Amino acid sequence: MNKITNKSKIVKKGGGWVLHTAFSRVLAMLAGLALMLVSVNVSAELELHISKTTDEGIPIYIANFAGGAAGIITADLKRSGRFKIVPRGKIPRISPYGGSLNAGAYQNVAEYIIRGRQQGGGDLEIELISTSDNARTLYRITPNINPRRVAHKAADAIYEKITRRKGAFDTRLAYVTVINKTSKNPTFRLYISDSDGFNPQAILSSRKPIMSPAWSPDGSRLAYVSFETNSSAVYIQNIFTGEKRLISAREGINGAPAWSPDGTRLALSLSQNGNPEIYTINVRNGRLQQITHSSAIDTEPVWYGNGSLIFTSNRGGSPQLYRISSKGGKAQRLTFNGKYNSAPDVANNKITFITGTRGAFHVAIKSIGGSGRDILSNGTLDESPTLSPNGAMVAYTTLRNGQNTLAVVSDNAKSRQFLRSPAGDVREPAWSPYLHQ
Amino acid sequence: MTIKTFIAIPVLISIFALGGCSQNQNDKGSGAIGSRGGGTSKSHAGGRSGKGGSGSGTQSGTIGRGGASGVNSRNGSGRGGAGRGGAGRGGANGGGGGNSANNTSDITLAGLNDPHNLLSQRIIYFDYDKASIRPEYMVLINTHAQLLAKYPNLRMRLEGHADERGSREYNVALSEARAQSVKSIMAIEGVGGQIKTIGYGEELPVATGHDQKSWQKNRRVEIKYEGY
Repeated sequence: MNKITNKSKIVKKGGGWVLHTAFSRVLAMLAGLALMLVSVNVSAELELHISKTTDEGIPIYIANFAGGAAGIITADLKRSGRFKIVPRGKIPRISPYGGSLNAGAYQNVAEYIIRGRQQGGGDLEIELISTSDNARTLYRITPNINPRRVAHKAADAIYEKITRRKGAFDTRLAYVTVINKTSKNPTFRLYISDSDGFNPQAILSSRKPIMSPAWSPDGSRLAYVSFETNSSAVYIQNIFTGEKRLISAREGINGAPAWSPDGTRLALSLSQNGNPEIYTINVRNGRLQQITHSSAIDTEPVWYGNGSLIFTSNRGGSPQLYRISSKGGKAQRLTFNGKYNSAPDVANNKITFITGTRGAFHVAIKSIGGSGRDILSNGTLDESPTLSPNGAMVAYTTLRNGQNTLAVVSDNAKSRQFLRSPAGDVREPAWSPYLHQ
Repeated sequence: MTIKTFIAIPVLISIFALGGCSQNQNDKGSGAIGSRGGGTSKSHAGGRSGKGGSGSGTQSGTIGRGGASGVNSRNGSGRGGAGRGGAGRGGANGGGGGNSANNTSDITLAGLNDPHNLLSQRIIYFDYDKASIRPEYMVLINTHAQLLAKYPNLRMRLEGHADERGSREYNVALSEARAQSVKSIMAIEGVGGQIKTIGYGEELPVATGHDQKSWQKNRRVEIKYEGY
């Protein structure tokens, strides 16, 4: 609806830029090889971009301008762990949007300069200027009911232009909060917020636990688990209309729903036959198919494409991740480090999960098919990691001042931000897919 | 007075000593046995008793030793005290599997609300990431099963819970497995049809701390009777 319009392309095509592109292709191939050989090269995207300050991220200067978008864009880009935000004092009297600028003079300060203009709640205009060749890219973003989304869309455009990967700032988080959790009357709420934690809106409230929100691939519905009727049940709720539909309330556990990428099925864990197994259920006709057959706990399925599932099982004696065809068959173990690996989430060929190490639980990330893993979090009881749709950031919960709090860490662990959220203990963030409305 | 002190000191020391090794064993669950394991409790099982020797150690010996008779000593610290796993654990040495409730006449509906009756104990505690029943709970579980057998219209809910460590849906499965473990022992009395199980995972803790003591309180199955 609100399209980003790329008004004018690169104005000046300097020789340096062409060379830059060719060189980065070679690097991309090398980085690809490295990905296959090494466990997971979390800085692969950074290496695609030639920068003297790779360790710190790409230095960018974001000029301040009226309307508040500059601050949102700055926080977004910083959260991705791929940029170094140059302090404003480094370029003292920069001319405003559209004004003359000898960008080349700031080559040692920043690789890109960003200026913007937004007049009276109208379109947000953004100017991205490369200091190496003075090339300018202009973006115009039309207003939105949620004004912050306009800035997130700008951040996505800038991110994509510089990293050549899709940005995922204009997305949402779903999560559950609970207040008075040890009392007789706890209150559980299911929230949806912007990906930076702003604009939280409760879409469900209950005295009984709400668990495991999972987004439909079109971003319009959430599947979740409710204990409202003193037993577990899986529901689907439209986040715009509030319309709610019961999907499964079988004997025993009805848990851990996960939407197939094509939107036709939910994978879930059911214990109707006495033991938790992975099933898929067709959301239209309810047709059920059993995927796993083991005497162990099988739960927390996520889809890897439409053809396979990754899930947690303790069939080997401790919780570990396994992969199986979404038609069933033999499961293949994916994790071997440590005695506790669980709660997988998958995006962009990366998998994030919880790993238990010496009594603490941390967020780990690895490439699917890779052997090692990188630890992304440093709390003691970190939980429920969820990948942004571009795989560049992980939201999770961590204990902070005695309460579970939302945090976002970049996949290279270089940036970590704690998000604000409504009162209460926060759990189980689920990162939405890219938004289409 | 002095004599009593003399006796008490070594007892307390030994409680502290046993408590000391409990930290390690809590997570390993080495003292627990399979649900059908009967009375083959290991000698160190008692070591996992309540920390600090606050008296729960003294109470605890009695329950495992022989069912209902031990119940009378449960007066330490109200609700949490005896039930808190500290309870039965000391008694593991006694071999819980032996003789189930010694006096079936005690097994009545009235006993459910009598704090001196074993039936008033409705919480069973578990080891970390384990669903196996600690031997000291066999008597308690059998006693409740016999009550169900005596009253075929009585319905029970076994609500399983987990501590906050590990992932949430895995903990739902783990806590349901704990409830199922209790049910499977009760079902030996032919009362499986009267029992429903549910796993709440780590969603409904009773203790909010982020430490071993709180985690132990939260790893539990609560026995609930409909209407009682």
